Amino acid sequence: MNDAGSVLLVEDDDNDVFFMRRAWKKADVTMPLQIVRDGQEAVDYLGGTGKFADRAQYPLPSLIFLDLKLPYIGGLDVLAWIRSQPELVQLPVVVLTSSSEERDRKRAAELSAKAYLVKPPSPEMIRDIVQSAPQPDNVRS
Amino acid sequence: MNPSSFEHELERRTKKQSDRIAELQEEKRSLEAVATEQRDAYDAVFRLAAIVESADDAIISKDLNGIIRSWNKGAERIFGYKAEEIIGKSVLTLIPADHQQEEPAILERLRRGDRIDHYETVRQRKDGSRVDVSLTVSPIRDASGKVIGASKIARDVTERKQFERALTEAREQLARANEELEQRVEQRTASLREAIAQMEEFSYSVSHDLRAPVRAMCGYAKVLMEEHGAKLDDEGREYLERIIRGGNRMDRLIQDTLTYSRISRREMDFHRVALDPLVREIVEQYPEIRASRPVINIKGPLPDVIAHEPSLIQAISNLLNNAIKFVEPGVQPKIRICAERRESCVRLQFEDNGIGIKPEHQQRLFGMFERIHPEKHYEGTGIGLAIVRRAVERMNGSVGVESDGLTGSNFWIQLPAADA
Repeated sequence: MNDAGSVLLVEDDDNDVFFMRRAWKKADVTMPLQIVRDGQEAVDYLGGTGKFADRAQYPLPSLIFLDLKLPYIGGLDVLAWIRSQPELVQLPVVVLTSSSEERDRKRAAELSAKAYLVKPPSPEMIRDIVQSAPQPDNVRS
Repeated sequence: MNPSSFEHELERRTKKQSDRIAELQEEKRSLEAVATEQRDAYDAVFRLAAIVESADDAIISKDLNGIIRSWNKGAERIFGYKAEEIIGKSVLTLIPADHQQEEPAILERLRRGDRIDHYETVRQRKDGSRVDVSLTVSPIRDASGKVIGASKIARDVTERKQFERALTEAREQLARANEELEQRVEQRTASLREAIAQMEEFSYSVSHDLRAPVRAMCGYAKVLMEEHGAKLDDEGREYLERIIRGGNRMDRLIQDTLTYSRISRREMDFHRVALDPLVREIVEQYPEIRASRPVINIKGPLPDVIAHEPSLIQAISNLLNNAIKFVEPGVQPKIRICAERRESCVRLQFEDNGIGIKPEHQQRLFGMFERIHPEKHYEGTGIGLAIVRRAVERMNGSVGVESDGLTGSNFWIQLPAADA
């Protein structure tokens, strides 16, 4: 299913990964969900470096769900890095965080986040986001 | 000699004598006049000498080689030398080693006929101590106008100098104290800023880390209910419901506490806020308000106020939620929103058809964690109205409620009007 595009979830909390997977299943979305557990892994994955060098196994996603409170590199810094990469600058990123903070919302908007969602994710939320995401054809991989 | 010639001779001699007397008297008068003149001149010189002698200032004369030629009592008082000790010695005797280079320059200027006025410098007493002086040095000329020496008037300015030094010192101390004060203010401000930053960091962590386990517990309880609820009996499901309600309540408590602390310390800048479109927007767009399908009647137009818009939105939506929540079960909430001018303020009122608050409870209503109605009937954290009060008070406004405890409540907030 990789050719239909994939979605990358950047989330360090096991419980939140569980709830996301469950909502994902309930939303009946066919795109596979890849998961990385911290900000550094997110950067490595998107850059295709280290253990993520194999793009067949770790395809460049067409959509990212990004937690903000992450080990090593914070979510907003990951987002800033993404926007600084020419091949990723158009990549839709949805912030999925546990709290709605004014300053985070502001910064996320500045970095052209597609949406700012507060956990827990619901199946409806996921369907809305995935349906409005660009088709994989439009994203370079 | 015949008598007539004798008489004639006598007469002639007598006349000669009297002429001589007259002559002598004339001479005496002129001599007396000269004596008086001389005495006056002597008096004048004496007076001048007395003035010089009794002056407070040192009055010294020296020749062009710098040798002291005269020395008054003032000089003795200031420098400690008696006239007989110093006359004939060089003025360098009076100049401290580190100021000796001044004298050649002074002498050079005197030779040119210059006068030196109020030259402030340091001289040395007989006992070796230093004295601050103000010098006036003028050339002395002989009858032909040639400079032959100098008069030197030295005024002891030690006291004035000490005063000046004390003044300078005091000024410096003041400046240092000011600087210290400024530094302390800066330090305090910095530590205050740090405290606020830490507080912000803390509440940021609370909102993320403290809520995560609560969300997890609630989430798993919901999953359990959805996927395994059928295997439980009614009692088991009831307990699970209670876990979920407890978790939800905990989460709301954390969120409301954070909102309260954010409202308390957020920086607010005040602008004109168009109340009328703002209230209509809140009523139409807030999902929590729309969910209970209330009848909301706005008696507009509502006048503009001076406020911090995000805080005002928070206050108004909390009041609306409150009005909607506290109705008898099965009753459709009805809210009438209106505003009136009260001197320089605008009072915005929310009249509801809810259960009301008895006057004896109204005092506690806006306190933190205060709940008037039992939890099982009406969910709430008891923070909502505390947030309203904090927000409104920070915007220089006030808040209150009127209710008889039977026929609904009239909550109001009052804010500075935008138009006088």
